[in-house]
Amino acid sequence: MGVLLFDVSGFSTFGKSLDFFDLTTKDTKEERKEESMSMQDVVIVAENVQKWYGKFQVLRGVSLTVHRGEVVVIMGPSGSGKSTFIRTFNALEEYQQGRIEIDGIVLSDDLRNIDAVRREVGMVFQQFNLFPHLTVLDNITLAPIWVRKWSKAKANEVAMQLLERVGILEQAQKYPGQLSGGQQQRVAIARALAMQPKVMLFDEPTSALDPEMVREVLETMKKLAADGMTMVVVTHEVGFAREVADRVIFMDTGVIVEEATPTNFFQNPTQERTRKFLSQIL
Amino acid sequence: MNQNQIIKWLRKNLFDTWYNSILTIVCVFLLVWGAKSIFSWILFIAQWKVIAVNLQLFLVGRYPEQMYWRLWVSIFIILGLTSVTIGSLVKKIPNRWLPLAWAISFSVILWLIGGGLGLQAADSNLWNGLLLTLVMAVTSIVISFPLGVLLALGRQSKLFVVRNFCILYIEIVRGLPLIGILFIAQVMLPLVLPDDITLDRVLRGIAGLTLFSAAYLAENVRGGLQSIPRGQFEAGKAIGLNSIYIMLLIILPQALRAVIPALVGQFIGLFKDTSLLSIVGLLELTGISRSILAQPEFLNRYAEVYLFVGLLYWVFCYSMSLVSQRLEKV
Repeated sequence: MGVLLFDVSGFSTFGKSLDFFDLTTKDTKEERKEESMSMQDVVIVAENVQKWYGKFQVLRGVSLTVHRGEVVVIMGPSGSGKSTFIRTFNALEEYQQGRIEIDGIVLSDDLRNIDAVRREVGMVFQQFNLFPHLTVLDNITLAPIWVRKWSKAKANEVAMQLLERVGILEQAQKYPGQLSGGQQQRVAIARALAMQPKVMLFDEPTSALDPEMVREVLETMKKLAADGMTMVVVTHEVGFAREVADRVIFMDTGVIVEEATPTNFFQNPTQERTRKFLSQIL
Repeated sequence: MNQNQIIKWLRKNLFDTWYNSILTIVCVFLLVWGAKSIFSWILFIAQWKVIAVNLQLFLVGRYPEQMYWRLWVSIFIILGLTSVTIGSLVKKIPNRWLPLAWAISFSVILWLIGGGLGLQAADSNLWNGLLLTLVMAVTSIVISFPLGVLLALGRQSKLFVVRNFCILYIEIVRGLPLIGILFIAQVMLPLVLPDDITLDRVLRGIAGLTLFSAAYLAENVRGGLQSIPRGQFEAGKAIGLNSIYIMLLIILPQALRAVIPALVGQFIGLFKDTSLLSIVGLLELTGISRSILAQPEFLNRYAEVYLFVGLLYWVFCYSMSLVSQRLEKV
């Protein structure tokens, strides 16, 4: 795992609580996870989250706990509520019942709490949602400058480090429209990272990409995971889930059907519904 | 282009079939005949003395001659800023001080024209002709733009009172003819305002134009706002921006750029609509033309006067149109 560490200088831009240099001494993901579990270092707690669109219930009591440094992959058929679920973590979706706590902050109707949570949670969207009227660099520095109140020089410096991390340093002065889909999604990842989030949410990050661009985005995400970022990823990419996930969660019709390690999930699923889903995508 | 190419081009574009050939010949004949009669009228029949004698009236009306230097200074400021702006647009180097410079010079120019604060005052009754048209049009545009944006945002607001007030305002104003609003502004504003505030006729005219224009602007801006995908709001929220920042930094810049053609179209309309103020007795370009036509010496010179005035309107409207095309490319 230590081999995947690739940009020592960029570590400072990530969460402060994890000592990245320690990672080099730990050889397996399991070891890392064990440690974080033992620290009881919980980043996301969702308890019995329920949500209705009118009379239709999208989330029917979903609970999930994510520990620091963990990578959780959520799979499921479309309409299963998986995107809606992770969008409740940064209050892009409201929920009517249950409780969500992000890094110790309870998500309630209090706008200050919502703002505080959004500063700690980065999100990458299926459609990238870059700001087309700003250059790549300005896309990344916008939030650090206006929300974190960094100086422009500092924001630019961090942004350039991030662009180097995601491998598109030379595109800094271009506009999103001039970039390929894969490059745009990597800019979107850099933009989310610029706020130094404690958690990164990925909402089907590769679903809108041409096949040949999926890999570059997944590679970027793998590096991120290897560096110890806490990630919740909604995706259909089985390879990514197998290789990177600590846990795979399968959702259908607004509930969690199955939760397992990648190996168990893909080889010995316990639920009939999971088996049916896997037989369709594998 | 050599001769062969010219013949080829003519063949292809003007004489490719027998009926197109006939059409071409008829059109050329009509064009030549029309141009000939217009030019012979302009050159030999029209009596341009009315323009030459009254040129000052057309341009600045009864603005006191000893204060002309203030207008020259204003023109100088505008030309200077315009060239700097064009320079930065051509070189594509955004200059963050330019908007501020424009805002400051706008107030400075108004002060120069009107006087006060140490300068001898020039009563607004004396600003006539093109000067008054420009002052009223530019001021109305400058005030109605932010007002229109606010109305557009208000119309999308989640607050019941704000939203419905904006809708009510927009729909009432859009349902009234401009001339009616101008009369209301001239006659009713003084009745509504407290006694110690008196707006002069020019200000009342500007108020009428502004209130009218803001409602239409609001609808144009709303069109732009609705063209911005939801994902832009969500991305803004996700990186922690509050809703004011999202509006100012992400949504409005895109929304306004999307509706530049419509906005400029409306500003051009507003510029020409100032001519309606001649009906409520203001001596702007059209108004002063009517009083010039009342001079016994020039009683029947309608064609000359209105052609000249039309040319002036056209020059300014066309310049706005050019600016708009330039802005769209930024």
